[in-house]
Amino acid sequence: MALFITKRLLMALATVLVVALLAFLLVHAMPGSPGAVSLGAGASQDAIDEVNQRLGWNDPLFTQFFTWLGSAVQGDLGISLIDGRSISADLASRLPVTASLAAGATVLSAVLGIGLGVTAAVRGGLLDQVIGGFVGLLVALPAFWVGVIFVYVFAVQSSVFPATGYVPFEVSPQDWALSLALPVITLAVGGGAFIARQTRASMLEALQQEHIRTLRATATPTWKILYVHALRYASLPIVAGIALQFIGLFGGSVIAEQLFAMPGLGQAVQTSVSTHDAPAVQGVVVIATVVVVAVNLLLELATKFLDPKLRAS
Amino acid sequence: MIPTVAPAPADADQAGSTTPAAAPARSAGKAGLTKFSRHRLLTSPGAVAGLVWLAAIVTASLTAPLWLPFKTEDQDFTAVLSGPTAAHWLGTDELGRDILSRIFAAAAGTLGTSMLTVIVGVGLGTILAMLAAGTGERTEAVISRVTEIMMSLPGTVIILAVIGAVGTNIPVVMAILGILMSAGIYRVILGQAKSLQSQLYVDAAKVDGVSPLRISLRHVLPGLANTIVVQAALIFAVGMLIQAGLAFIGFGPPIPQPSWGGMIQGASQHVYDAPWMMVPTGAVLALTVLSANAIGNALGKAPNAAAPHLPSAAARRQRAKAVAAIAAAPVSEAQAARNGASHDAASEGTLSVRSLSVGVDNGVRLVTDVSFDVEQGTVLGLVGESGCGKTMTALSLLGLLPSGVSVSGGQILWNGRNLAAATEKDMEGIRGRDIALISQEPMRALDPMFTVGYQLTAAIRRLRGMGKSEARTEARNLLEKVGIVDAQRILKTYPHQISGGMAQRVAIALALSGQPRLLVADEPTTALDVTVQAEILSLLRALVKDTGMSVVMVTHDLGVVADICDQVAVMYAGQVVENGNTAAILDNPRHPYTLALLAADPHANDADNMPERLATIQGQVPQPKDWPTGCRFAARCQFAGSACTDPVPLLASGAGEGLVRCVKADQLAVEGMDWLATDVPAARLLPVSPATSQHTAVIEKDLA
Repeated sequence: MALFITKRLLMALATVLVVALLAFLLVHAMPGSPGAVSLGAGASQDAIDEVNQRLGWNDPLFTQFFTWLGSAVQGDLGISLIDGRSISADLASRLPVTASLAAGATVLSAVLGIGLGVTAAVRGGLLDQVIGGFVGLLVALPAFWVGVIFVYVFAVQSSVFPATGYVPFEVSPQDWALSLALPVITLAVGGGAFIARQTRASMLEALQQEHIRTLRATATPTWKILYVHALRYASLPIVAGIALQFIGLFGGSVIAEQLFAMPGLGQAVQTSVSTHDAPAVQGVVVIATVVVVAVNLLLELATKFLDPKLRAS
Repeated sequence: MIPTVAPAPADADQAGSTTPAAAPARSAGKAGLTKFSRHRLLTSPGAVAGLVWLAAIVTASLTAPLWLPFKTEDQDFTAVLSGPTAAHWLGTDELGRDILSRIFAAAAGTLGTSMLTVIVGVGLGTILAMLAAGTGERTEAVISRVTEIMMSLPGTVIILAVIGAVGTNIPVVMAILGILMSAGIYRVILGQAKSLQSQLYVDAAKVDGVSPLRISLRHVLPGLANTIVVQAALIFAVGMLIQAGLAFIGFGPPIPQPSWGGMIQGASQHVYDAPWMMVPTGAVLALTVLSANAIGNALGKAPNAAAPHLPSAAARRQRAKAVAAIAAAPVSEAQAARNGASHDAASEGTLSVRSLSVGVDNGVRLVTDVSFDVEQGTVLGLVGESGCGKTMTALSLLGLLPSGVSVSGGQILWNGRNLAAATEKDMEGIRGRDIALISQEPMRALDPMFTVGYQLTAAIRRLRGMGKSEARTEARNLLEKVGIVDAQRILKTYPHQISGGMAQRVAIALALSGQPRLLVADEPTTALDVTVQAEILSLLRALVKDTGMSVVMVTHDLGVVADICDQVAVMYAGQVVENGNTAAILDNPRHPYTLALLAADPHANDADNMPERLATIQGQVPQPKDWPTGCRFAARCQFAGSACTDPVPLLASGAGEGLVRCVKADQLAVEGMDWLATDVPAARLLPVSPATSQHTAVIEKDLA
């Protein structure tokens, strides 16, 4: 087990390094030198050159990357070209927003998705078809469209929830929950539909297994066959689906944050891409990769724990 | 939201790649190895509607310049933010631009660039998968590792960083999106490509010196066609959603060029004063995505998905209705008389099956008019080739017929009580306690997620009402009883950690946990090694002797019959064609099918006079829908004649209490005919004399 974890941690580290290099090369391909971006239009060439020199822009790429990496491992992701704020501090304040958004949406998706998927598989018949149609529709609806409709219904027509904005948990837990409600529900529509499909398919596959017949032949009550044995068998792909959703929602928060004006990572990446703020983009890419890689690592551990075949080996 | 960079699972087929039990998942994957099916596409209403919509929108967008009522930038200041009007069918936006015109002007670009993602993603994924499957494990390991890393990237953020570098050059961005998505497609296709590579005909081609490239293109690629189309459709949908999402957050085509995402973004600014604007573009985008998904899902559906072993609630309700109908059906007088007889004689532990019919719910009959008796402490063999209805008959005894199959007539009398008319609740009281089951593949009969000990103790506690520790002890006793030496250790193992023979012993112990009086054994030795087969058979023989339980043994092996069965019922095409006690039937078979089975069995022939050629039975068991009204074996029978086209009743065979379903049985017996190894010239076929027919009529009367 220890060996397994060590190996996986090394893999994860390698992934993050590869992405960091990739991100570094990508932002270097961005139009405009740091000096030009930072000083804006109308700056003199001398001033631009001076800033570039100071930021090490003229050093070899190799040196630049390792300089960046050296400070990154110490938690310093550099400063923004636009307003000179510390990128690490900025992202640290944004991470909780996106994390609560993605986590909330994942939990809601999982609850809705597993509920609908299990119901469809277990009840069958007309209900299965109705749920199938409903879920098919939800998968096809773009989240940004759904979000706007929610704003219209819940914030404009009836002001149940605030339309935009984010209130930190420390300020007011109640307002925090209210401000998260609409974005979370918006993201959970598509996510829930995805998990519902995965759950239904996995449950049906579990129920096709021959050991289900053995369980019936030994008079196992139906509820136990469904919710202990079949669901246990189906749990692996369902858990994988949930992890995939979290990863997707973490990225998907870009749209929810834009739509609901939330100061999260997604908003940061969107702004810094628009303003060609290279170090900021690079920082977000690396942070997002670390989160995604960590979730994948957790998924792998969960899989190993859930599957007796993997657990034994 | 930008959707996850991995297509949703269309069906159990694809979800299989992550399931715990690798073996069943692989078999499910094989079921997906079907050629591209136009039929499946055209029989799904959703897919047809999707095709029509896609065709319409592509045509409309390509011909847009010819028919669009307005130019995309025409501004009509008299109708700003208007709803649908005669002039503007879908209304106008904040600058008075016609929404209909803008939707279709944007369509070509949206569809085209999404197609670019499909081509790059599916193309790259397929090539990588074929490369990995075709060139050995080293390459596969490398490619798989790389795709693993690609899949653990935050796709959306990377795409945004790409936009930062290349700007909003949509074709380039969508092509890079395709590269990112190719990893997921590779994973889906790899399994199938590997399975195709391991086909025997591919091996043969390799031996013939066909180049790997040619093999990939000629033998592997065609087999992947369906999956590729499915993936393409799903990726197309994802591509459109992502592209619209990017445009929505401001990374769409440069303004003023219209895009669906950009139009929805514009509309969202006016959701307060002109909510209608959200509708047309959203609907067109959703419908297009829905269409692509519908096509992908229709094609991706596993063709012969196995029926669930626990039917859905809806299916169970339907079955309960059918059972109620059977229970309510009047029992014919003759049957009632026979029931009465068997009821009187009903000692504990007697099974009497009367005129049992089992059918698919669509009307196809799988088992017709099957009758047999099993006395306490005896073993009945149900023999026949595959597809003769043996397993269906056996499963009906426990009420465990697969979903969509049910008892359509007749009675299953257990101690005089009709199980065919019993409710599911009643059957739960019978299963395990009175009648138990062991099945063909012990590995698959045990739950892979729970230990042997858990499964056994749970069953013992449930069926015998024991406490936890008592059940634990009993579990160990049972394992020892079925010949497992280190029971304590086996209790802690998972099914995948023990051998097939060991698993079958565990399965038998599980079946014994409720101290049943009848054991239904569905080919319990077929999947096992020959030496293990003998061990399991002698275990069963010992159990029958010790416990006094009876056994219904389904088998196609006459050796098993000779070894363990007291009585035999030979089944052919859903009917019993001959029954009687084992010795009589093996020594003196009366039905041509029994004759043929014996002649075809190497063990049934003496070593001294072993024929040079073993006999064969021409042809195959007919499909249930092709059963003739006359003798169902006639088409394959060496002795068939004109009389065989009439329905044949079961007649006393003359040998003991046996019955035989052949109009020529007596004649064959008298003339001592054998089933011949070679094809029989027509001249040797017996003419059917009228006398025989008369004879049958008499016996029929006797039976009635």
